[in-house]
Amino acid sequence: MLRRDFVKTLSGAGAAAVGASLAGPAEAQWIKRRPKVEIGEVARVRVDVLTETSWFDNTRLKQNIVAYGGAGTNQYSIPWDWDNAGGYSALITVTTLEGETRKILLDTGWNTEWMDYIYRRNGVDRMLAEGEIDFLVISHWHLDHAWGLASALKHNPDIKIIAPGTLYPEDRTLLGGGRLTARSHDGDDVVICQNDHPHTGPLVLTEEAGENDSGIYRPMPGMAIRLFDVPILLRVRGENVLYFNVKDHGIVTVTGCCHPGLLNLFAYARRNFEDARPYGCYGGLHLTVFESWDPRFDDIIRGIEYFGIEKIACNHCTGWLFAEKAAAAGLPIVRGTDAFRDYPKVSTVAGSSNVFLTNGDAVTFG
Amino acid sequence: MTTLVDDGAGPVAGGPHTTAQLRGVAIGLANLAALAGITWLVWYVLLHPNGVLAFYTPMYGFSLVATLLAVIVFMSRIAEGWPFSAWPLAWPIRGAVMTAVALGAVYGLVHGLFWGGLGRVAVTYFSPYAIIAEGGVGAEFFNAREIASTAIVYFDAAFLVVALVWSAGVGRWPWHRVPVGVRVWSKTATVVLLSGLLFLVAFHPHVAHLFYPAQSMAGVTPWWRELSMTSSAFFNLGVLLCVVMAVVLSELTWEGEPWGRFDRQGGAAAKGVTTLLGSALIGLWFLYLLWQLMNALWYEPFVGGQRLDGPHFRYLHAGEVAGFVILSAYILKVCFGNGPGRGSLAMRALVRTALILAGAVAMWFFYYSPLATLALGKVPGIASPDDTSLVVTLLFLCVVLIQAEFFGRGPRAAATVDRPGR
Ligand SMILES: [Fe+2]
Ligand SMILES: [Fe+2]
Repeated sequence: MLRRDFVKTLSGAGAAAVGASLAGPAEAQWIKRRPKVEIGEVARVRVDVLTETSWFDNTRLKQNIVAYGGAGTNQYSIPWDWDNAGGYSALITVTTLEGETRKILLDTGWNTEWMDYIYRRNGVDRMLAEGEIDFLVISHWHLDHAWGLASALKHNPDIKIIAPGTLYPEDRTLLGGGRLTARSHDGDDVVICQNDHPHTGPLVLTEEAGENDSGIYRPMPGMAIRLFDVPILLRVRGENVLYFNVKDHGIVTVTGCCHPGLLNLFAYARRNFEDARPYGCYGGLHLTVFESWDPRFDDIIRGIEYFGIEKIACNHCTGWLFAEKAAAAGLPIVRGTDAFRDYPKVSTVAGSSNVFLTNGDAVTFG
Repeated sequence: MTTLVDDGAGPVAGGPHTTAQLRGVAIGLANLAALAGITWLVWYVLLHPNGVLAFYTPMYGFSLVATLLAVIVFMSRIAEGWPFSAWPLAWPIRGAVMTAVALGAVYGLVHGLFWGGLGRVAVTYFSPYAIIAEGGVGAEFFNAREIASTAIVYFDAAFLVVALVWSAGVGRWPWHRVPVGVRVWSKTATVVLLSGLLFLVAFHPHVAHLFYPAQSMAGVTPWWRELSMTSSAFFNLGVLLCVVMAVVLSELTWEGEPWGRFDRQGGAAAKGVTTLLGSALIGLWFLYLLWQLMNALWYEPFVGGQRLDGPHFRYLHAGEVAGFVILSAYILKVCFGNGPGRGSLAMRALVRTALILAGAVAMWFFYYSPLATLALGKVPGIASPDDTSLVVTLLFLCVVLIQAEFFGRGPRAAATVDRPGR
């Protein structure tokens, strides 16, 4: 009754074609429809993993969350273990069709000591100071992606920032320079994040409507940023997703955590971009974060096959479990190296199979 | 004790005056407000993420609530209030005793039967301790408890489906002529056996695949995967809840029709079969309607889609909506004497159904409003991972049922004599 040929479902005019087998034009006018957008092309995209170890011990992170009210709690009300904090940040190098290179920084991590080390080690401090980085994208306002702002702004407070407009007053405080504390069960006010380098450059706060109601922002040809305004755990809302259209290959998504869901992103691209063909992805995929499986993850593995994604570079909140199972199922997981072992701290979930593209690794699309 | 079913038209039927009707509605609203208040209080103490015990993890709290509902349904529908109905107790005391017994049973079942018993000696996944003892990836207490709780919720779901279909379908048949004790034991054995089988077919393959590596020698790769575009048993859960909704509507709202006519013509067995098949048809049709509606709102889902795009969510959501309808139907029955009591049956059924659907829609909007986030501490938005409206819906239903079945809606109903068997 509800059976449907899935490949047919995805082909043709994409999701608009579907209702057919279910008797009728179910695709109603209720969904807001926009004309498809031409986003242009880039020649190549390289992503350097600066750090994807947002925390080092899963159990401790989870204890922090559970002890202070669970997944729905405001992240600013939890006195997190500072020495368990790391961060998520990536350096994206785009080669345009004209052969120029443009650099984008994605996210600024969490623990500023760790982030200072990471930026120094990779020369990002110098790139920022010398204006080599075009702009900074904050994927979402989760602590492990945004609380390390100071580590980037101290080298260039004037940098252009593109961040989700779904921010809270605390996020604004951090952006404008300030210090935030959380009350521990012992009654102490613990400093949880601090930024002494107020942002003074251009600020683009993204909205779901995008530029001119196109649904997206286009900072350069061949690239689009879309805010997916989804509720996320720890009271955060909305994630900016980076899309690149790589010439002769197709769409690459670059994400912080991918809270909206990986295939949801590709489905969006199919519905809204001209000639969107799935090609690859980089980033956290937010699946088996805490090493617990669910049959719906089996669905995602099957779905990735159906979509025909050719290059999957994942890490962070993807969960080693998902990456390993996806690799075992034959999905094109880009393997990392052992470079991460050379860092002063290593995550407790790090396995030996290198299914994560982790600290010190890089991937090139195109 | 069968105060909810069988007592025909509601008390409003006796009040020809508009003022009396208005008074009835006012009392009903006050009753509803009190029940909602109790539900919120229990939610805050037991489940609210920033409350006292914070069991809305979500599965652990879900397992407690679902087990409570199963126990209440067992005590009222399968055990017919026996043996409490035979005790010479004043109604408030009897209600309090039955409530206490039900709560004790929840603890005994979850922590005793499943965690300490079955999980230890039979099926690992029923006990977090047993899962941890086996070790493996992710085997720490929180995860393990979520897995065991998922299994228990599914078992409760299977039990509720079988118990409700059985009691609405054949009632006391074929044991209607034997002493109540014999009948209760016979019904219990039958319903538990059938729920075990339903659990194995509909839910066990899901639970077996909650592990890495998947326990595929114990449970098949979900057989519904191609049919439903998802490996998740949310498919079965959604379908079954829609079917239960149809059973409840017929029994409560449509005064036992249209399946009652089969009882009069072909006996209880004929009614049982038609109740099952007819409710399945209505339930699937309802699911189909909701599916189309959701497609119109949110595009078609696809294999591997998450949140709103996930087929598993669409089925779960159909079940959640069915849950709102079920709760709404019970509220109309318990608080408002089932609405209109005059006019033809078709007219009454139509008006009641409309009222119930309106109530369900109101619940839907409430649950996804910022108000619910404030009151319940739930994650905002629709289709957020680890959130389901079923927990608060079933908790509310438990509170409504405790009033109706245990406290017998006060002295009036407690005084009514048990109707002879069908
Ligand atoms: Fe993250
Ligand atoms: Fe995140």
